[in-house]
Amino acid sequence: MKVQKLLTGIIVANVFAMTLIGFTKWIIAQRSLEMIGGIFVFSDFVIVPALMGIIAAYFWRDLNLSGGKYTLYAVYNAVAAVAGAYLFLDEGYICLIIISPLLMGFTIAGTFIGKVMFRRNRNTLNVSILSLLFVIITVDSLTTNVSESMVSDTIVIHAPPEKVWQYVVAYEPNNAKEDYWLFQIGMPSPVQSTADAYCEGAGRKCIFSNGYVFEEKMVVFQPGKNLTFDVTDQPKDPEIMGHIDILRGQFLLKDNGDGTTTLTGNSWYRLYVFPAWYFNTWAASITRNVHLRVMEHIKILSEKNV
Amino acid sequence: MFEFIITYLGFLKHIPFLPSIADALIRLKTFIFNPEVITYTDEIERTVLSWKGTSLKSHKYGGIQFDVNKKEIGHIHSNGLLDVLLKREVKEQLIKEGRVKDHHTFQKSGWTSFYIQNENDKKYAIELLEYSYLLKY
Repeated sequence: MKVQKLLTGIIVANVFAMTLIGFTKWIIAQRSLEMIGGIFVFSDFVIVPALMGIIAAYFWRDLNLSGGKYTLYAVYNAVAAVAGAYLFLDEGYICLIIISPLLMGFTIAGTFIGKVMFRRNRNTLNVSILSLLFVIITVDSLTTNVSESMVSDTIVIHAPPEKVWQYVVAYEPNNAKEDYWLFQIGMPSPVQSTADAYCEGAGRKCIFSNGYVFEEKMVVFQPGKNLTFDVTDQPKDPEIMGHIDILRGQFLLKDNGDGTTTLTGNSWYRLYVFPAWYFNTWAASITRNVHLRVMEHIKILSEKNV
Repeated sequence: MFEFIITYLGFLKHIPFLPSIADALIRLKTFIFNPEVITYTDEIERTVLSWKGTSLKSHKYGGIQFDVNKKEIGHIHSNGLLDVLLKREVKEQLIKEGRVKDHHTFQKSGWTSFYIQNENDKKYAIELLEYSYLLKY
């Protein structure tokens, strides 16, 4: 009986979550937004897991569980949700690693909110809270848009700008060992850049370790100073690439007057996953490490034979 | 770790939902590394809720909060940190005795912090909460 109630809580919570995520996606689809598959609104990772916890706590309310047991079963509930995201939402394992703390945290938080809610047995209040959460989900799906951010990184290279410039536009394959943990576990990292021609308007390609190619167009081409390119086509991967668009990249070179160059890498991107404060932290970290891997490679190439 | 977060990253508590998720993840860490703290918290919860007029709710920054007559008497964060409201002179005396600490955020008040780590701490936490309860009841 106890096991049956525990399982019912987890199954109902997960079915409810999948239905709700389908509902938010349906609302977004009505708004005719592109990239529907990749969009996850704020509610999907905050309110839905919290509701999962509350729903499970409802089924567990008579089991007289200890705080430790509530925590353990909330973890099971969140793991089931992660497995569901893998099976039904076609998410990749890196994406699942990224969403896990959020799912785990809000499912546990929701479970304990539910534990307190159902202990008090105030059904009117409980229905009001759940109704309010449902309204928030609907309004969130109707109003949430995309979020755009920019990441900037700088390094000093012991070579003059004209030397650095030739590697900024295009560079030979980077075979250095990965030192960012997400790259080490399989996230694609930048390997090589090629240019169709050395002039404004020319095409450029950024090739990643798994063979993915970002097609780019150079929109500012000022030798020794500024290379800015718009990303014209990028792979739609079930991993995080489906949830983020890289819009524009830029390398700025500053002559320090002492034979060194300050190289600044800027990237602009658009996020399709919310809450932005959480996913932007990951996106900024990943973008920063893409920058650093490229810029460190440019530094090594530029400083060779100076 | 918790003190570092409170001291240097306390401003993050204003980000919506961040304190709740932080507390939930702290609960997970406590569950893995100090599960007895969760047991002590359960026992304190049972004891306090047996007192007349007390009720339980979720604390706004995570953890559980005990109220009497809709006024808070204290709350326990998921790492076993009890925050309880005492009279200031009592708090200062207990701090001198080295039994409790100043509250991690509201130093110039009667709010007092105390870490629950063992059976004796649990008993002392109940005493502190009872003191606060009698002030408010």
